Amino acid sequence: MSRKQPKGEWIETDTGNKVNRKANLIGTQHIMLGGKTVIMPDAMIRGDLARTATSAAGGPPGSNTAVFIGRYCFLSKGCCLRPPGRIYKGAFTYMPLRLGDHVFIGEGSIVQAATVGSHVHIAKDVVVGEFAIIKDYVRIMEGTIIPANMVIPSFSIVAGQPARIIGEVPEGGHEAFELRERYKSVKTNPLAAGS
Amino acid sequence: MASNKRQSILPRVQAGPKAPVNFSSSITIADTAILTGNHTINISSDSVIHPRSKLDSSGGRVTIGRRCIVHERTHVGAPGPAPPSSSASFGVLLEDYVTVEVAAVIESGETTIAEGCLIGIGARIGKGAQLGKHCTITAKSVVSPGERVPDYTVVYSNGVRRLDKRGVNDLKNKAQARQIEVLRRLIPSNPAKFKD
Amino acid sequence: MASFTPYSYIQCPCFDATGQARPSDESPSASSSDAPESDDDHAFDPRSPRSNYSLYPIEHLLYCVDCNQIRCPRCVAEELVTIYCPSCLFEVGSSSVKTEGNRCTRSCFQCPVCIGPLAVQSLEPAPESSSLLTADNAAPPAPGPWALCCSYCNWSSSEIGIKFDKPQGIFGQLAKIRDGDGHGDISVAAVDAAPTKKSGDAEADSTKSRFALMRSFYQSQLANSNSTSSGNLSGTLGEYGYGSPTALSRIMSLYSGNGLAALKPKSRPTEIREADSFKDGFRPSNLDESSSISALRENGYDGTVTNSQATSQVDEGARFVEDLWPIPHLLRSKRAKRCPVCRHILSKPEAKVNNTRWRIRLVAGNYIPSISIKPLNPTDTPGLPVPDTSSLTLTPLKPTQYLLTFKNQMFDQIKVTLATPATTPGRFASRVTVLCPQFTIDANAEDYDINEALKDDRRQDKEEAAPQVEAGKPWERGRNWVSIVVEVIPSSLRIEPKPAILRKPGEAEDLGPLKEDEDILEIPMFVRLEWESEAAQDQVGSTASKDKEAKEKRELAYWCVLGLGRISQD
Repeated sequence: MSRKQPKGEWIETDTGNKVNRKANLIGTQHIMLGGKTVIMPDAMIRGDLARTATSAAGGPPGSNTAVFIGRYCFLSKGCCLRPPGRIYKGAFTYMPLRLGDHVFIGEGSIVQAATVGSHVHIAKDVVVGEFAIIKDYVRIMEGTIIPANMVIPSFSIVAGQPARIIGEVPEGGHEAFELRERYKSVKTNPLAAGS
Repeated sequence: MASNKRQSILPRVQAGPKAPVNFSSSITIADTAILTGNHTINISSDSVIHPRSKLDSSGGRVTIGRRCIVHERTHVGAPGPAPPSSSASFGVLLEDYVTVEVAAVIESGETTIAEGCLIGIGARIGKGAQLGKHCTITAKSVVSPGERVPDYTVVYSNGVRRLDKRGVNDLKNKAQARQIEVLRRLIPSNPAKFKD
Repeated sequence: MASFTPYSYIQCPCFDATGQARPSDESPSASSSDAPESDDDHAFDPRSPRSNYSLYPIEHLLYCVDCNQIRCPRCVAEELVTIYCPSCLFEVGSSSVKTEGNRCTRSCFQCPVCIGPLAVQSLEPAPESSSLLTADNAAPPAPGPWALCCSYCNWSSSEIGIKFDKPQGIFGQLAKIRDGDGHGDISVAAVDAAPTKKSGDAEADSTKSRFALMRSFYQSQLANSNSTSSGNLSGTLGEYGYGSPTALSRIMSLYSGNGLAALKPKSRPTEIREADSFKDGFRPSNLDESSSISALRENGYDGTVTNSQATSQVDEGARFVEDLWPIPHLLRSKRAKRCPVCRHILSKPEAKVNNTRWRIRLVAGNYIPSISIKPLNPTDTPGLPVPDTSSLTLTPLKPTQYLLTFKNQMFDQIKVTLATPATTPGRFASRVTVLCPQFTIDANAEDYDINEALKDDRRQDKEEAAPQVEAGKPWERGRNWVSIVVEVIPSSLRIEPKPAILRKPGEAEDLGPLKEDEDILEIPMFVRLEWESEAAQDQVGSTASKDKEAKEKRELAYWCVLGLGRISQD
């Protein structure tokens, strides 16, 4: 299928988010992007699985965001972000999924965590179970399966099925999590050679 | 064509032959679900089909029981690596209360998934496999073709099996029913699109 | 074949601190000791088994500014800053670690079958609460017993018959079940399960409770007999827990040499008896294994405990899957690292668990130039990125060129001197030539003018005169980086006996097949940095004379290993 050239493949918002047209964002009114985030083709975000408005008085009826994404995040091809859901007070509800800043999600990974901290590198083909909590500066290796409800403390390196903490991020490794360069390397200008 | 690719990037327009369908009245099926194939696709009452899931009956009839949930990016009825045998009487049968999670692949060819099973994320059920009741296939596990998995088995890390003795079947079924109630409100359903 | 990313590892000087390895200690192999010397040390052999423990990638190294030396994780001294549970992220005081042990004492456990996290779940469903929601939105909590359930393999503590009354403090409830209340009473919350295991006496069967019972028993025995025999002396010695008082008094009377004491009628000391009953902690070993054998027959191999499951259990002796107990999480710590020589703090995290900042972080990456390696194809135009061909293997006997980029992180200009042995050590010696062994790199200035930035950009867009591969000149320069060319001629991987004239006397021939990773081309390189920085200002009031301060010349030298690629087998 030929690409419609004049329209361009990328949408760049005024906050600097670079969203590919082939990305699959469902329920975009419940998705909040922090800015300077890159979403590659075939990435999928289920914003429609939002928390249903509670019946209690005084709860904010306004935008119940399903997915919060921080700044400089990078969602690679084929990855999927879904809010986790569980039975809470008798009813099944979806809780919001929060990503911090500088989160890299590799190709084909599926993230159903409750929170993901900042400076997290998730390699490809990773499955993060529901309500997992991943703190800051965590590196998740390829093919890991994180069971539901797991807590991964900061500065860990995690691998395996089910995931185990196999190491610690050394002090010199903090800079490796920065995604500014990666954000800059994504060329949304159709005139750029190659890409 | 696009329907031959597994878990492929499918365009919004449905590619491949439109399958003859037989829906119950109370199902929830998203707009961007993909139903292709030559044989009938039956979906029983109260089931939910998420967007971007693919039900493929080119290898045989696909039947989905009551109160099932089929998540996105799944491929129910995928052709296996071997050419599909024409002797298969049906493609895939999912009984009641089955949940098929994101990116799971269920190959067609008399594959049976009994009541209450949970097929985890990215799992792969081979052609002709028969899963017992209330099995749990955790994420990325593989059930080889033709395998018979006994009831209440849990298949987890790298193929290890064990029996699940929790006895929480009723709890699970009730939880599934509640989840379906909520999903029905969240996903706009459009069964008419798939009927001829 | 898996793709190969070029790497560079640096050797920490602590490798030498344990003393130079004398040549006679090293195994006689056609490697390291015969490599040509450079800089008074034997050339470093990255393949020797010892070097495995001293090579680190640059991220793992710290730098001591006082000693001007790099420090590796092996030689730094660590101190605990915070101790916390990795699952509940709750801080634990060091005193409670000493008393309660190094495991979490709240409700976080690991599944014994799959080491996944266990969650406390109620076994009865919450009632339909929509009609019962009161104004304060408090739904009634789920009643019913609670159990620990694994979210991954669906194991549940109800399989071993353990249920809890309340969802908090599981550790204490479990301990009570395990050790029994007092001596072998039926425990509080244990549900009736297999009678052979859960009968009253078997309740107090954990190693901990048995040890406690035995210890108290023997102490009371010693105290009893000590009170009848002579004096404080044996009493104090008895406190050490050893020796029976009869032996002690016999030995003492030998040395005291006082005949009278020996003739004194000794009151018969109370006999020490050994533990022989249940409440003394005595458990006769059950020689009748028929129940174990029938259980084995019933469940088969899958019903037994695997090695990894057995080692991760807290108490030992589990044989069957039904004996497995939930494992409390091991506590994790935040540690501060100190230089072993000058005790300067090299890295110190914040004390709070959820604060990820670091108070001090002296990382080698901020001081040592970083080395990046990529293959150099002569047809490439300079400035444009080379396509990622990391899976390329090296062809034997074909000269290949690599581009090494050194990036300077310090704020001073550094002069770099490189030295490599002419051939790589190991069985397959490839020839290595560094085309520019000495060069300077400019400082990593914080602010740079716009002209510099424009020059960099222009260089990337335009094609300048193609740099030549010249000996003695760097390939390219930048604001704070320099790239040089290294040429390698990989050796052939054929294993052949050497011709007789080349064979050294007494040298064993290694004709075995290719060992693991022996086909990777690794270059040991000696890097020497020289730079000038301001001398340490110790005197008070020396603010005026900054410019005239003698700039202190500093130098740092270390070995590093560059892994370039795999040599293909022809």
